Amino acid sequence: MTDRRRINGPPSGTRPAVFASSLKSASGDATERPRRHRQPNELRKIFLKTGLIPSASGSAYLEYEPSASLAAARSSPQSLIPPSSALKLACTVHGPKPLPRSATFSPNLVLTTHVKYAPFAARQRKGHIRDASERDLGVHLETALRGVIVAERWPKSGLEITITILEAEDDRWWGDAPDSHDAPWGMMNVLAGCITAASAAIADARIDCLDLVAGGVAAIVSDDAVAEEGSSSTPKLMLDTDPAEHKSILSACVVAYMPARDEITEIWLKGDHSKASLGVDDSSLGHEALIDGAINAARGAHTVLVEAVLESAERYAGLSSSDS
Amino acid sequence: MASSAPPPALTLPPSQFARLQPHAYLLAHLSPPASSNQPSLRANGRQPAQFRPTSANTGSLTHTNGSAVVRVGDTTAVCGVRAELLPTSDIASWSVSHASSGAHKRATTTKNDADADADESHIQDLNLLVPNLSLSTGCAPGFVPGAPPSALAQSLSHQILGLLHSTRLVRAEDLRVWYQVPSFGGDGDMDVDAEEDEGRKKKNDGKEIKAFWVLYIDIMIISLAGNAFDAAWAAVLAALRDTRLPRAWWDADNEMVVCSEAVAEATRLSLRGLPIASSFCVFEADAAAGWRAVIVPDAEEEKKIEEDQRRGMQRRWILADPDGYEEGLSQERVCLVVDREMGKTVIVKMEKNGGWAVDGRELKQLVDTAAERWESLKLILEQC
Amino acid sequence: MASTLPTLAIPGQRLAPVSSYAAGPGTHVQNANIYASIAGPVLVNPASSKTAKSTLSVSRSPLRKAAPAASPSAPKSTAPGPSKPRYNTLPAVDSIVLARVTRVQKRQATVSILVVLDESASNNKSGPQPTTTTTTPTGGSSDNDNIEAILSSAANPENHSNSDELRFQALIRKEDVRAVEKDRVVMDEMFRVGDIVRGTVISLGDQSFYYLTTARNDLGVVMARSEAGNMMFPVSWKEMRDPVTGAAELRKVARPF
Repeated sequence: MTDRRRINGPPSGTRPAVFASSLKSASGDATERPRRHRQPNELRKIFLKTGLIPSASGSAYLEYEPSASLAAARSSPQSLIPPSSALKLACTVHGPKPLPRSATFSPNLVLTTHVKYAPFAARQRKGHIRDASERDLGVHLETALRGVIVAERWPKSGLEITITILEAEDDRWWGDAPDSHDAPWGMMNVLAGCITAASAAIADARIDCLDLVAGGVAAIVSDDAVAEEGSSSTPKLMLDTDPAEHKSILSACVVAYMPARDEITEIWLKGDHSKASLGVDDSSLGHEALIDGAINAARGAHTVLVEAVLESAERYAGLSSSDS
Repeated sequence: MASSAPPPALTLPPSQFARLQPHAYLLAHLSPPASSNQPSLRANGRQPAQFRPTSANTGSLTHTNGSAVVRVGDTTAVCGVRAELLPTSDIASWSVSHASSGAHKRATTTKNDADADADESHIQDLNLLVPNLSLSTGCAPGFVPGAPPSALAQSLSHQILGLLHSTRLVRAEDLRVWYQVPSFGGDGDMDVDAEEDEGRKKKNDGKEIKAFWVLYIDIMIISLAGNAFDAAWAAVLAALRDTRLPRAWWDADNEMVVCSEAVAEATRLSLRGLPIASSFCVFEADAAAGWRAVIVPDAEEEKKIEEDQRRGMQRRWILADPDGYEEGLSQERVCLVVDREMGKTVIVKMEKNGGWAVDGRELKQLVDTAAERWESLKLILEQC
Repeated sequence: MASTLPTLAIPGQRLAPVSSYAAGPGTHVQNANIYASIAGPVLVNPASSKTAKSTLSVSRSPLRKAAPAASPSAPKSTAPGPSKPRYNTLPAVDSIVLARVTRVQKRQATVSILVVLDESASNNKSGPQPTTTTTTPTGGSSDNDNIEAILSSAANPENHSNSDELRFQALIRKEDVRAVEKDRVVMDEMFRVGDIVRGTVISLGDQSFYYLTTARNDLGVVMARSEAGNMMFPVSWKEMRDPVTGAAELRKVARPF
């Protein structure tokens, strides 16, 4: 069915470019999987800024620092195939505003969340209509935020949170066979970014919150690289994983975490963590370590969040100078 | 109480005044009392012909062939260009139209420069340029995310498409993937008649088009504070200037088009000119936001306005690069797209609607303003 | 007490134990401690009596005193003393609002709320209204009173039918128009579409409407255009006049001074 409200391309559809290098046998001699240069518990830097979109009640823009391989590819481009990608998203908060006429009376603030990828956000072109994964992200984000907002302070009104993802995280390394990683791991990083950005935008809109909720990701990975170095391929716990950098992600976890209260509002754990007994001396279960790791990652994101929100508060407090 | 007494002034803080009496608020800024000795400025502090500060940044999006972020004041447009391949074998009408018209067209393209390229119709006929603008990004209240594109978004998409076609900005030749058919027999003894008889997709010089690049040009308006078109068009222009297409060739063994990933082999688009858009709106002192009973002023009224103008009492203002507030207060819009070649301004597109205030004289001035804007935006685009 | 209060707080920041302060707007209480729930300047409102605790709140309004030298151009917006902080930006019972009339029916008028003024204006309800309410509500601007934000979005509701969906709607019922001669109210002679009305919220109403009243001398139409399209001025409590044509029109007029 053609979309009459948009400009459509050729009716027969188009094909993404196929690169000659990917046709050759997967010996991997030409290109190598990007390597993680960070420590297992080292996070990528997060750029977070509030208030860039003045027509919204609150807004935030978030960007992850490119991984080492991507940064290198940016500074001296050799290949047209990007080794990895780094999250970039914009979040706006509109409201509190009247509920639609069809809505029933609500004594609380009604939250709606909406996550959409730009068509050029991922390696595969995304459609204009939200797909299942985007809806899924929206639902996860809503649960993450609903526990944070003091909804009863805003009766019979609605808050609309919209996130536009300009660049998403890869689900796997492009050189891997499409089925080598079973799950879309990149989505979890995207969700963590959405949570952190939405939290900043809500604070920027001055909607009452219990805490600044932050998102964090941890994953249990098993890498060839580790095996080569002799220490048998024991799975390792890593924070803020870039899926392109790992051959195999066994399981991953994203949390929305409120540091001041030590509470989790949303947890999403995927994959098989039963195999992952992390070292002999570590008797803790895989999933507990995983959740703790994700919490640590969220704490890291929280420090960035605090700075961004303080900046928003300062800008707001000093508003009187421009208010004439 | 004398009936000539001015209405008791309701003292309001500026923010409430702006909200309750938007028209009067803007008017008060544009025509300050003579005693106050203040210059006539817009509510946003700009001169009537002043554009908002503009910045551009290209190539920051990883998964695009070309990308740009353009900020015009508080309006932000992000444009990503993504190239995909359209094999000619997928085009239903290709073998027919190509066999009948291809031969002589080839001759012209090779002889003349691409400027006289008669094959430009490929871009339009085959939909090789696919611009879509989205406002469902939370860019402003009132655009429901997830809803189908609003009327404004659809109109902007089509304006951009129209401008891409009419300016012939992208050369069709840049989008073609050629294949040199290995010659089996002697060189050049295969004449046109024979080819048509056979009905094969082979050319007299043994070259054939195997595929076209299709450019998906997606524009996300991230923040909307008026005049989306200028920002969107500037973003499209910057992104296309940034676009690199990989070297592509027909791989006869795999029967498909394959590309080289080497950046050094990739080519940039060779765009035609640098058409730059400037939008204006007309603010009228009297129109009072649609309260005017008579739609068109009669000759006398018009004369009076002109007289007032001469006496230094301005009744209407042409505002460059309107913000959202000003857009809401004016009916009449002008959009000019100009290019400059060797010091001369070329009008690429001129659109004016919604009113009667701007006539030939004003339009001339606007073209000059647009030409100045062209110079400043050119610098910005060249530096990014 | 160990900790001193920060000047700026962010959500989730612990401010003080409940034993020393009472929790005010912009804060919440958790485990006997007061935490900030919005980002902004921390204010302490001294207790009204010796026995009560001071109220700790996080202000939604800009902190005027924070920038003493920064606003030479805006003397009139400098409120004397600390302003009463707004609880939130929504209309609440007793808030004074400015609203545009969008529909006039036989039994009621529908309005669209443009500005919520500070509720402190309603504190002196009983006494005679001094120079009043037309003024800056003690710097009590809400988030959406930011000029930059206003200028970025479309201004003119007449041009944008959908912008009313973004504003809170309210009803003024026939019996709430004025305090006297309630049974002789003819809605057409009270309000016209497009008028700006000052009213006060009497109830949050149902899912779609708030209820307003204008049954006070200082409430009613504050701005109106005549049929000829000119701004009118009030001549009495029930009449306004067009300065150009001299024609008078009936309204429920708010006392302008």
